[in-house]
Amino acid sequence: MEFTREIYWNVGHGAATLVPMYLLVVVAVGVVVWAFIKKREVYRQGLPLERTDQLGSRIGSMLENAVFQKKVTQVKVPGLFHGIFFWGWFILLIGTTLIVIQADFTDLLFGYKFLVGNFYKVFSITLDIAGLASIIFLGALFIRRYFFRPEGLETKRDDAIMHGLMTIILLTGFVIEGSRMAVTELGTPVALWSPVGHLLAQSMAWLGEDALRLVHKLTWWFHLLLVMGFIALIPFTKFRHILTTSVNYIFADRGPKGKLRSLDLEDEDAETFGATSVKELTWKDIFDADACTLCKRCQDRCPAWTTDKPLSPMKVVNQIGEVAYNEPEANLIETLSRDVLWSCTTCRACQEICPASIEHVSKIVDVRRSLVLMEGEFPDEATMAAMEATEVNGNPLGLGYAARGDWAAELGVKTLAEDPEVDVLYFVGCYASFDKRNIAVAKSFIKLCEAAGVKVGILGKEEKCCGEPMRKMGNEYLYQSLAMENVELINGYGIKKIVTTCPHCYNTLEKDYRDFELEAEVESYTVFLERLLKSGSLKIKSEGLECTYHDSCYLGRHNDVYDAPRSLIEAAGGTIREMDKNRAEGFCCSAGGGRIMAEEKIGERINVKRVNMALETGAPTLVSNCPFCLTMFEDGVKGAEAEDKLRPRDIAELLAERL
Amino acid sequence: MNILVCIKQVPDMESKFKVAASGTWYDNQDLAWRMNEYDEYAVEQAVRLKEQVKDAELTVLCIGSDKVKETMKKALAMGCDRGAHIDDGESWAKEPFEIAGIIAEYAKDKNFDVIFTGMQSQDRGSGQVGVLVAEMLDLPCVSTIVDFAFDGGAIKAKRELEGGVKANVTVQTPALVTCQLGLNTPRYPTLPNIMKAKKKPMESIAVADVLKVDARMETAAMYFPEKKGGGLVLEGEAGDLADKLIAILKDKTSVLK
Amino acid sequence: MKILLIAEYRDGQLLSGYSELLGFAENMGAETAMFVVGSDAALPAYGGKLYLADAAACGEFNPDLHKQMILDVVAKEQPDMVAFSHSSYGWDLAPRVAYGMKAAQVSEVVEVKDGAMVVPVCNSKLRRTVTCKTAQTVVTLQAGAFTPVEADGSPAVEKVAVDGQGRVVFEGYEEAEAGGVDLSKAEVIVSAGRGIGKADNVEMIAALAKALGGEYGASRPVVDSEWVEHNRQVGTTGQTVAPKLYLACGISGAIQHLAGMKKSEFVVAVNTDKDAPISEVADVLVVADLLQFVPALTEKVEAL
Repeated sequence: MEFTREIYWNVGHGAATLVPMYLLVVVAVGVVVWAFIKKREVYRQGLPLERTDQLGSRIGSMLENAVFQKKVTQVKVPGLFHGIFFWGWFILLIGTTLIVIQADFTDLLFGYKFLVGNFYKVFSITLDIAGLASIIFLGALFIRRYFFRPEGLETKRDDAIMHGLMTIILLTGFVIEGSRMAVTELGTPVALWSPVGHLLAQSMAWLGEDALRLVHKLTWWFHLLLVMGFIALIPFTKFRHILTTSVNYIFADRGPKGKLRSLDLEDEDAETFGATSVKELTWKDIFDADACTLCKRCQDRCPAWTTDKPLSPMKVVNQIGEVAYNEPEANLIETLSRDVLWSCTTCRACQEICPASIEHVSKIVDVRRSLVLMEGEFPDEATMAAMEATEVNGNPLGLGYAARGDWAAELGVKTLAEDPEVDVLYFVGCYASFDKRNIAVAKSFIKLCEAAGVKVGILGKEEKCCGEPMRKMGNEYLYQSLAMENVELINGYGIKKIVTTCPHCYNTLEKDYRDFELEAEVESYTVFLERLLKSGSLKIKSEGLECTYHDSCYLGRHNDVYDAPRSLIEAAGGTIREMDKNRAEGFCCSAGGGRIMAEEKIGERINVKRVNMALETGAPTLVSNCPFCLTMFEDGVKGAEAEDKLRPRDIAELLAERL
Repeated sequence: MNILVCIKQVPDMESKFKVAASGTWYDNQDLAWRMNEYDEYAVEQAVRLKEQVKDAELTVLCIGSDKVKETMKKALAMGCDRGAHIDDGESWAKEPFEIAGIIAEYAKDKNFDVIFTGMQSQDRGSGQVGVLVAEMLDLPCVSTIVDFAFDGGAIKAKRELEGGVKANVTVQTPALVTCQLGLNTPRYPTLPNIMKAKKKPMESIAVADVLKVDARMETAAMYFPEKKGGGLVLEGEAGDLADKLIAILKDKTSVLK
Repeated sequence: MKILLIAEYRDGQLLSGYSELLGFAENMGAETAMFVVGSDAALPAYGGKLYLADAAACGEFNPDLHKQMILDVVAKEQPDMVAFSHSSYGWDLAPRVAYGMKAAQVSEVVEVKDGAMVVPVCNSKLRRTVTCKTAQTVVTLQAGAFTPVEADGSPAVEKVAVDGQGRVVFEGYEEAEAGGVDLSKAEVIVSAGRGIGKADNVEMIAALAKALGGEYGASRPVVDSEWVEHNRQVGTTGQTVAPKLYLACGISGAIQHLAGMKKSEFVVAVNTDKDAPISEVADVLVVADLLQFVPALTEKVEAL
């Protein structure tokens, strides 16, 4: 017999079937289109944002992520479950589409059938396996949500509707197949190519042809209605993510990671700065809420949330959506709350893991800008004092600016004002210039450069804070004045290359300062030293060291520098006992987002939590690459009362000892 | 209502000071400049008074070179309406009586209802200017206030005395008050206000036009005090220092017996 | 030389600062007369002429009236100098009196050097000598700068008439928050300054104080930031203390603070800045990061 089947068997291929069917399709799709047109009005309440550059590449990225579920499956459970379920569903969709193409187009108009022979065999078995896999993994997702109840996972009526609807659609699909096969295929070789349907057919055969035909017809129409219902419900339930999340991949932020949007502070007509209501966020910020599937991966990784602060990145994203739809005039500061807004350390764990390309951090910073620039508010007095200190002395520590280069005096390092002919400008940063513990790191770095024959200059008292903590806290005005001064100074000296030992300075100079046309190339000291090591200019003795390594947020997630520091540690003879949360899953030390200036008052101390993670590895040394991390760990080690068990050190110190 | 607040630009106290070549004042190299801390409280209170009364014009006055305009802008950004800059490149060389004389000369025909000043400056710290201005203008004056309330022509203030005690006083306007630290929490200027400040009127007056008094004293010399001998300086590792100190305390005091 | 000394009276008590005024006069080799707005019931131990105005009649605080009465006495006594304590009463009244006398006024004198007045500048980091151009001068003296003189005898009292109202109306005192710690009774005080960095670090200061069997105090900025309650403030506007041991942690030594603890028997300062003004009164200066040193010291003291 022919390996094929009669499409529309029993249901009829005439107008009686096709007209209502396509009418329902038109209505369902119409509902979706209409709903999204209305939604577009909500999105457009936000400011414009250009996200259609490199369109081809963006669409490619969308296909990669949507079809191949790349980001979704990054977290195996439930990512892989969703992946398999989705692929099953997707394959069924393709299958149905092929059927429609043949039945209502190629066969109807040209008499051409392709669902025959070997192709049909493959088609048939693929769809059966796809359907089965879909049911099984949808079931697994159901069990996870309703029986295992993972902490922090909100389950709403929405989820029940989705699970219910999709399960019944899948089951009815098999019932249709089974009832058909029970009449037309039992005992034929074709049946073997639909194994699930075959089993079902065998169990239904006893009904007899008349009953089977009735069941088939009714279920067919029921299935059609359910599917049309499913389509129509897309805009009104979490099903929307099929469209919104996929589209969000197209409009994702491709900019340098962690680079914030600059505000035009010269604009004389601007009346507000920062986001006080959704109208001052971008359309993408509102759209992100629709793209969110409440998967809570961001929340799970947020250092604030997991230490009992009220900040949940997921909630922030969704509250913005709620307000945009229901109460667009609402004040975002009151809606989100101050404790939530100030708790963020901009560590980017949320954004890095988000499978929907949502941008959490910039929303929080935009509302912080409103708090600072429009209300003059800060998380606490310590932060306001640090801001004022920076205005007066160019550093948040409030120490006299004239002493900024004093740490280098005994090393014979000259300032650019004294000697501008240098190989490299070392942008020292506030902590390495003024804080005793971090001055040791700066000195180590100089020793390493000298050993490698690199001529280093510093700005000394001309250097001002890079402005990063101020910017992340929302003080865009102070940041811009610092940035413009630093850029003018550095460009003025004709500097071609800058190296920093602080990842915050590095990130800011390398990305944010380009808005002010900084010309020099900027490199992190870890990458810089690794290159010197590889080229042989820098020679290090290998002296054994058991340690664990902390990937700082700003070198790690923001700049994907994970390997260079590790190879440096290994070259120094270190064996790294990795923490569970490492590389892109690294856990913030708590000082980012400008919080180095603030006091931590709510919940558990983030730095102590991280120190405890390091203690668990049993290593006696905690190596890091950032002055904030080093400061936080020195404090955290005391907080955890582990001064004799764990010693925080910077990579530069380790290397300098081994010259 | 007409309000005046007088401010001074001083060096940040974290700066490393050096004596100038003249030997009579500190060198102004390598100094970071800021509004006198006491004056920040004065500006904040003046702005709050203006906000309360609503129909009020608040002037900020400062004496010094062009450099002080930076600091005046901050006062404008906090909420002052206009600036009166007394242009004087040698303001640091003047003594309190001259400074007060300049201010009084400026203010005498302007009918200020309330004049705010800081209680003293962080550099010279004589604490005289505010009270002298009041005397020159024959205004009642309350100094060292840590609380201020205005109600229909009367100021109710609290003076800070020794030992944490406060004195409640009432005075009718026009009057002058000098502000102590902790009077309020000075606001951080919002960006729209910083931008508006750039456009607010700033009057520049040559100091010669308003200096009508003579100095009554002068600085003969400025110098670093000698370190009193006998003070032992200990440096080293925290643990060793602790041991050393304990030994000293056991030896020199009865505390650790 | 003749100096008119202005004594202070508050809340029914004569304040002891007048003996430092006497010490100053002795230092200058001058004869004295004294003025106070007070009462018969609380006369100073002073053998000279005392001009006494009745506090009950004109109020303990009434700058207009007090100024006028002092000017009347000045007209009578023709002193070369009028000396006040640099206190909330003195620094308020002195400029008024100086204006009325058309005299120069020197604030917060800490020393007399070769006949010239020496005053502190820039938070006590520097000193300057001042020369006066007027025939008479008015001075205010820093608390504790001049050795008090144990005078005795009874003054020859001349009553001063009270005339008029005064424009500043005194409505009464407000005591400091009650039920607090009395630092003046503590034998050991460990004080926290701005150098502790943040509120959380007050704990380590309190721990060290406890280990040493004493109390913890703070400098003004720490109290203003509300890291420590006001009744633990040491300084001119807080408590004046004289314990056996005073440990100043992260305190630079602003004059107002020094004035409150200068009389301590043994002073240890912990500061990373070797040049901090506190080093002037410190018997020992520990140059270290207090965040390291204080816990280390606490541990060792507890182990004793």
